[in-house]
Amino acid sequence: MNLKTYLDLYAVLKHDRSTREEKRAFGLQHQKWIDDPLRQLRAWSQERRPHLKKPLFSDTFSSYLYGITLTLSVVAFFLGFFSGIGLLSYSGHEPVNIIYFLAVAVVLPLVSISLSLLAMLRANRAQSFLVHISPAYWMERMVHLLPGRFRLSFKETEIPPRLSNWLVIVRSQLLALLFSAGLLCALLGMVVTKDIAFAWSTTLHISPEAFHTFLSTLAFAWKDHFPWAVPSVELIEQSQYFRLGEQLDTQMIAHASKLGEWWKFLAFATLFYAILLRIAVWCMAKWGYARALKRSFLSLEGVAALLADMNEPVITTSEKSDENAAEERNSVYMQETETLDRSYDRAVGWSMAEEALHLLNEHMSVITPKVDKAGGGNSLEEDSKIISRCTGEIVLYVKAWEPPTMDFMDFLEEMAHVARKIVVVPVGTAENAYRPKVREVEVWGRKLQRLESGKVWLKR
Amino acid sequence: MSTEYPKFAVVGHPNKGKSSIVSALALDDTVQISDTPGSTVRKQSFPLKVDGKILYELFDTPGFQRARRVLSWLQKHDVSADKRHEVVQAFIDAHREDERFRDEIELLEPIMEGAGIIYVVDASKPYGEEYEAEMEILRWTGQPSMALINHIDETDYSREWKRALGQYFKMVRSFNPMQASFSQHLSLLESIAQLNEEWIAPVNRSIALFKRFHSKMLEQSAAEISRLMYHALSYVERYTLHTEKASEADERKVEERYKERLRRFEKESQQRIEAIWQHKHLKKEQELLLFEGLDLFSEQSASIFGLTRKELLVTAATGGAVTGAGIDLLFAGHTLLLGGAIGAVIGGAGAYFGFNELADVKVLGQHLGKYSLETGPMKNRNFPYILLGRALYHMMKVINRSHAVRSVVEVSMESSFKEQWLDETLRTSLEKYHKMFRSGKEVENEVLQQYSTLIKTVLENFDRKAGLKQFSYPHQGDNAQ
Repeated sequence: MNLKTYLDLYAVLKHDRSTREEKRAFGLQHQKWIDDPLRQLRAWSQERRPHLKKPLFSDTFSSYLYGITLTLSVVAFFLGFFSGIGLLSYSGHEPVNIIYFLAVAVVLPLVSISLSLLAMLRANRAQSFLVHISPAYWMERMVHLLPGRFRLSFKETEIPPRLSNWLVIVRSQLLALLFSAGLLCALLGMVVTKDIAFAWSTTLHISPEAFHTFLSTLAFAWKDHFPWAVPSVELIEQSQYFRLGEQLDTQMIAHASKLGEWWKFLAFATLFYAILLRIAVWCMAKWGYARALKRSFLSLEGVAALLADMNEPVITTSEKSDENAAEERNSVYMQETETLDRSYDRAVGWSMAEEALHLLNEHMSVITPKVDKAGGGNSLEEDSKIISRCTGEIVLYVKAWEPPTMDFMDFLEEMAHVARKIVVVPVGTAENAYRPKVREVEVWGRKLQRLESGKVWLKR
Repeated sequence: MSTEYPKFAVVGHPNKGKSSIVSALALDDTVQISDTPGSTVRKQSFPLKVDGKILYELFDTPGFQRARRVLSWLQKHDVSADKRHEVVQAFIDAHREDERFRDEIELLEPIMEGAGIIYVVDASKPYGEEYEAEMEILRWTGQPSMALINHIDETDYSREWKRALGQYFKMVRSFNPMQASFSQHLSLLESIAQLNEEWIAPVNRSIALFKRFHSKMLEQSAAEISRLMYHALSYVERYTLHTEKASEADERKVEERYKERLRRFEKESQQRIEAIWQHKHLKKEQELLLFEGLDLFSEQSASIFGLTRKELLVTAATGGAVTGAGIDLLFAGHTLLLGGAIGAVIGGAGAYFGFNELADVKVLGQHLGKYSLETGPMKNRNFPYILLGRALYHMMKVINRSHAVRSVVEVSMESSFKEQWLDETLRTSLEKYHKMFRSGKEVENEVLQQYSTLIKTVLENFDRKAGLKQFSYPHQGDNAQ
């Protein structure tokens, strides 16, 4: 798992259009990883990667990051190397003061390691000033100032502060490590190629014994195993240097060959404080980065939904198909009437009792010599007989709330062949004083339109 | 005629709410529902599938159109009761190409393939004897059946319907698809399962699955609301200035953009919640999220390398202090740490006083500094409760809305709504998280999950109340039919 996988997953979540079913199929296919969401996510990202638009941001970003890191690494190494050369430059006139070298090989790493540890503790904060003082952070910032074509757009990708902070911390450790490696190389190189007389010098009143105690404390990590890499009190005494008109102490000149012994201590100090400790901090930073990456993976917008889609069964309750809707025909003219005549030749009620028909006639102030009950419980033969009798003008009562069925339409069609005029009257329930609802009458109107008969009228 | 899973055909007279019932049971708001009779012309299958495996299948069917003619044909074949279903099959075979009986064949086919019958009537309209031919045909099929009383309107003729239906069906149940709650939905499924002993186990499995599905949807909704709250409360709208000082128009612009962004967060969140509850076609009317009296402030800020003046000050002071501390160490502390202190002061003062000058420096044609105007994160302490209240209200409207309803839903929150979900204890618990969201710091996933759990508890309370019918969400004007 690395930043590239994270960026790939980010892009997949943002741009991928895979269906719920595809995600679930993938989940079922990799069911053995159900308890390892990171593995599932990585595998999914790998699977969907080819579907993303090229060039992939993760590739561009990784190569950019690689380039920056490589450049900075080379710079750091040579900076360390040349710092070492500078610190150890020996003209032969006066010895090399080990205090300067110790400041760079021990003090500087200790200070920067402490700051790094503090930065790690605060790495989850959005703004970590300890991260901001890292050269890695500032180099990246400088890149943002480059003209457009050299710049990489970060706007489309949101790298959480937690992750970017750890990224800077890890790379800072790497740079510091390379700086220290450069320093060690310079020390070893100078020792091999030159005879250097080391000494120590300070304005402060420090006795050789006190200095020895201080150096023994510094050498706690190796003094038991490599006692020869700890300067003796004698050597310390012999190598104390006072600049007195650029004249060297005679005792120092007498023990000139011993003064070079300091290199062992300096090499071990560099190795332990600048390199081994830094490697330990680098490993810690890598661990923290991996943890941050893992958390960022799981916190990515859409990850929870993706995992749910993979691991939860797909439940569907409908079959997607275009419903074959009934054809609406509103364009055909429908003959309508607002009022009924005073009398008709016959009143017919569709699925209505005879008593109800008399009541309806009375309510509508219509006089008909005959009333007939059709549909409902009637047999088809009985209906046919009624139709044969419907020769004049017919008032046909229907229940407005019951939509017209084809059974009714068949009946009406046959009746239209015989009758002179048919007025279809949708009536409401007795509780509503037989008033139909407008919506119900419209339903009847739409259905009757299909008959396209000049004899059939609808009472509005 | 045997099937591996139960099938149910929803049949009946035209326009009695068959499609509404199917829509409610299948949680599908795409089912075509119309007050024009005959809008369903082909049978539609609604299988409940889990990872492609069907647990049960519902059929929406066209209504009976020529029931008396079909019955007349059947009755011409004088056979004993055990042979009647064969006569029905013979009718289907004989009339498969007959356009006149297309609807009857469409509805009888799934029944003859083993589907249980759910006969739907509308008890808000009086009973009529024209239904008897339909019920008689269904009896001829010999399939297990039940009657479902729907109430499309207010009036009630249930008593007469029950008397009539009781003569044809051994089970008669009421179900209003427009107002059915989740528990009523499950209860109906339980009843349907009783039609056939073999169907009990698979339907019970489906019920358990629906319960899990429902709980999961509540969880997803809570997570969605949590995300909305976090994004809305922590959001900062930044507007890059081209001058050193922002004008009033700039301030208005950044505030308007901020408001629009928050409204968009809310809208997108609502759409996602509607999708979770399978209400993808929901039409709603809702008041815009307003910001009156919330005192939005926009602040001007400048940055160099992405660091504000304060951050740059701290960084420079730290850098100076580290350098000074190095000198202190070289002197083994004899400088009384003055090196560190002086370094910090020099670094800090340099960054503070030289900030503007540094911002104006051009490198490769670009200014090092950037000026911007910012609004947010939302500081008003009441806003989270307004936004959360709106989200919960919308959510409850969605949960309680049957998939059979096609009308526009009005999402206008009553003033008393807050009392229904927010008490002092909950406010205290929520405030802790709102403070974190407002701080603008990155919030851990675990924190969001804790907040989400809190929201889920509120949703579950609502859901429980809705199930018990104690929660009052009026459906007036919601009925499509």
